[in-house]
Amino acid sequence: MIPKERKRWIYKTMNQIRCFELKIQNLFEQNLLRGSVHLYVGEEAVAAAVCSLLRDEDYITSTHRGHGHCIAKGARLDRAMAELMGKSAGYCKGRSGSMHIADFEKGNLGANAIVGGGIPIATGAALAVKLRRSDQVAVSFFGDGAANEGTFHESLNLAGVWKLPVVFVCENNGYGISVPTWQSTAVKDIGVRGASYDIPGITVDGNDVYAIYEATKTAVKRAKAGEGPSLIECKTYRYLGHWTGDPQTYRTKEEVEEWKSQRDPITLFREKLLKEKAFTAEELDAIEQAALKEAEEAAEFAINSPEPDPADVLEDVFYEKQGASL
Amino acid sequence: MAEWIIMPKQGLQMTEGTITTWFIEEGGHIEAGADLFEMETDKLTIRIPASEGGTLLKILHPAGDTVPITKPIAIIGASGEDIAMMLASVEKGAVTPQFATPRAKMTAEQQGIPYQEVPGSGPDGLVIERDVLGYSLAASVRATPLARKLASIEDVDLVSVSGTGSHSKIMAADVRRAARRNRQSSVRGEKVIPLTGMRKVVSSRMKGSLLDMAQATHRITVDMTESVRLRDMLKEVEIKVSYNDIVLRCVARALSEFPMMNSSWSDTGIIQKEYVNLGVAVAVSDGLLVPVIKDADLLTLQELSACSSELAVKAKENRVTSEECSGGTFTVSNLGMFDIDSFTAIINPPEAGILAVGKLSRQPSVIKDEIVIRPMMQLSLTYDHRIVDGAPAAMFLRRIKELLENPGLLL
Amino acid sequence: MSKKTYATAIRDTIAEEMRRDDRVFIMGEDVETLGGVFGCTRDLYKEFGVERVRNTPISEAGIVGAGVGAACAGMRPIVELMYMDFTLVSADQILNQAAKTRYVFGGKARIPLVIRGQQGIGRGNAATHSQSLETLFMHVPGLKVACPSTAADAAGLLRTAIRDDNPVMFFEHKALYSVSFDVPDDTEYMIPFGKAHVKRAGKDVTIVASLLYVSRALEAAEDLAKQGIEAEVIDPRTLIPLDMDTIVESVKKTGRLVIAHEAHRMAGWGAEVAAQATESAFRYLDAAPIRLGAKACPIPFNLELESAVVPSIKDIIDAAKAVCYHQEG
Repeated sequence: MIPKERKRWIYKTMNQIRCFELKIQNLFEQNLLRGSVHLYVGEEAVAAAVCSLLRDEDYITSTHRGHGHCIAKGARLDRAMAELMGKSAGYCKGRSGSMHIADFEKGNLGANAIVGGGIPIATGAALAVKLRRSDQVAVSFFGDGAANEGTFHESLNLAGVWKLPVVFVCENNGYGISVPTWQSTAVKDIGVRGASYDIPGITVDGNDVYAIYEATKTAVKRAKAGEGPSLIECKTYRYLGHWTGDPQTYRTKEEVEEWKSQRDPITLFREKLLKEKAFTAEELDAIEQAALKEAEEAAEFAINSPEPDPADVLEDVFYEKQGASL
Repeated sequence: MAEWIIMPKQGLQMTEGTITTWFIEEGGHIEAGADLFEMETDKLTIRIPASEGGTLLKILHPAGDTVPITKPIAIIGASGEDIAMMLASVEKGAVTPQFATPRAKMTAEQQGIPYQEVPGSGPDGLVIERDVLGYSLAASVRATPLARKLASIEDVDLVSVSGTGSHSKIMAADVRRAARRNRQSSVRGEKVIPLTGMRKVVSSRMKGSLLDMAQATHRITVDMTESVRLRDMLKEVEIKVSYNDIVLRCVARALSEFPMMNSSWSDTGIIQKEYVNLGVAVAVSDGLLVPVIKDADLLTLQELSACSSELAVKAKENRVTSEECSGGTFTVSNLGMFDIDSFTAIINPPEAGILAVGKLSRQPSVIKDEIVIRPMMQLSLTYDHRIVDGAPAAMFLRRIKELLENPGLLL
Repeated sequence: MSKKTYATAIRDTIAEEMRRDDRVFIMGEDVETLGGVFGCTRDLYKEFGVERVRNTPISEAGIVGAGVGAACAGMRPIVELMYMDFTLVSADQILNQAAKTRYVFGGKARIPLVIRGQQGIGRGNAATHSQSLETLFMHVPGLKVACPSTAADAAGLLRTAIRDDNPVMFFEHKALYSVSFDVPDDTEYMIPFGKAHVKRAGKDVTIVASLLYVSRALEAAEDLAKQGIEAEVIDPRTLIPLDMDTIVESVKKTGRLVIAHEAHRMAGWGAEVAAQATESAFRYLDAAPIRLGAKACPIPFNLELESAVVPSIKDIIDAAKAVCYHQEG
């Protein structure tokens, strides 16, 4: 069971992510945003449901499709938007853009533009937790493509051997750019791969907040109890192309339309919330309106933010204050 | 890649060198390390080996040219290589611009020296810092002109000399002292002079001559009064002949009369030659050459003289061919110009004899019981006793004396 | 001062730092009961336990990545790679993650991570276990690169590396492990990064060398001295940061520069030193700098072949004489 306020938070977060992403798409089309942006629209349930169970001190590592994780882990929309526009007010002073956005204060160890690059890092964060004997947990978000990288297997094995407090969350959106999962991955369900490393592996409906929530809850509890890692595969779908401008020749419009009309995670969650009378339609409308407004304001903020000063371009390559940690 | 060969700097004071010999001809191949050319400065004569092997593509300066150090004198490379660009640069006079290292340039600038004037000792004449410092030090030394001249002659580095003149100016005496000190302090050991081809030839021929032949020597003194008179007479009509030319003419005549002296030994028999080819020993810088006057008995005194002096010049310039040095039947060696009264020569095999000619000098002589002063000359005939016995050899020598004392007989 | 081998100096420094700071831990293949294949963690597990002296699976990308993650999460991990050649197996985690994390995250992250291990020739380990790869890690900004040539430097530099809040690539040399040196007993002995060590003063030629080539350069310098050439031998000690000031000062004095390293000559760090020295001291140069490095082939197995690929002491002597325009006799 999800507590009511947590449901509100999840619904709000899902709407924030969606509005944010659509605004990004809009800005990109207006040529106000450069680089590669990989949008999370359609997959909001995963980030929101998983992160609803995490505190600020818990760690996540994210992916090139990382805006949703960043927002769900507590990032402000305006500073995230500023980062995507390369502004100095962005979380990373305009250095990371979309693909490397991080917010260490909220435990987000960063988006990672190398597929599978973040998985060992989350594992290492969990190792730190274990060595410190704190009750934190680390979550690694990654896609179905990353499940075929060596780092995935090395990390699951490492975490399995060392019983680390880490939850591996695989967002299987069905495609690695254009390659369907069935063509790249020998198993039907990536969840079964946990068995190789003697860790629980589960495959859930990635558009179902409740299913993701329950699986995550179990995994986090297990991690905190010192019983080790878990693998959760969330089967979901990205509505938009791999990147803005993707011609999407590898899938049919009908397929996309079916997911959008039948399986939309926000619509499904809204219907459930109304059905169980947790919130009224007006309450949920207000949340949606607020998210829309927040995304608009974030864009406004980002557009009006100053550009970073090229004179500072060499800053932060190294932590310069020698002996600060002594 | 074709490379320049430059006039190398050899010794502190050297500014230019004179090429004396190219050991290979243009187009010839040379191995690295083999002698390429010989050069001399005011102090030394040195053979320069090729630093790299290859074909001598072009000689820019033939023997006899004096060339400033570091300037190109030849081009070496692979056979058939295109050196048109290099030759063009020589013609334009833009040959090998003086290169200097950045540090040498900086140092030169600091010292106010145009680096282009500094002789470079680096690869291909590259001016390096050391060169500039040395140049600058040498230039900064205060010395009298005589002291500088002396230092150059004695190869004394003026920088190392402390001057005793006013304001520590270096005087000639300071340089002499330094030169003496250098000589005393330098270790006097031995050095090996590598054997040249000529040395090897002379060595084996002279040693072979003494080993194989039974050499004996007769001496005779000749009154040269009439020969002197003949020479003076010819001089008056502007015909220049030397005493040696007269000797050669007499020897040629005597040889035609004494065929046994114009022979050579072989195990099957004595080979008597109908032709008279006279060898004339000529001292050259590093050895001895014996160019041959062919059919000397058929030549007039004037012809003989011309032939003899041409061969002598060629020999001294190292231009005689081996053809011109072979086929001799008898040799005349004259050391009169070195003030030698008389000497014994070694036969030039396979000849049967050699005549050693001493100096012409005025000596008291007894003529008709009176002591008079006459121009006298000593001859010494060394002959191969295997071929000729003492008496015929004596008669041959006496005949030469007779001819010299009565040159009218030559007519 | 105590006499210690290079390996023992490394081991003792790790122990001292683990005693001092419980955030420091070491992980790697065979580091626990075996004490590392080269003995650099011998018996550490007895004092610090198997949690902090942690055997890992053979998963170089995984363990380096775990090091990055643990460092991000506030620990001070030391990752031992059995051979630094294996950095290539974990290259993404080093070059894309460790090196870039702080910068792309806008300076928010600190990555106090030491990746250490040995490299180089000397044991017949052949092509994939004998390379000298330090230059690769100089090329990607965000990593510090340390190369100790003595046990004292190993101790002083490693302590600085462990206390540094940046990722440090720590290149040890296998041929030095069993060599003994005087090492300060001070448990606070630190050698600042970016401070070259003038091992021998000289006025005629500057020889820059690191790791195994420091002793080789010093040997060459002894021989050169007999021939009237006084070589100044400089060990940069860290290649990032690189103390070009000391090298340039020396080159301004001597006018001549030779760089000798075991890393491949082609685009080796000697090229960087030569280029920077030329930029900074062009007018002072009396000869073009000479770089000596391994020939452009993989390191072969056979001892004679191996020796033929890397520069010899004679090569260093010849190079020094060449830049000095030294003539025999």
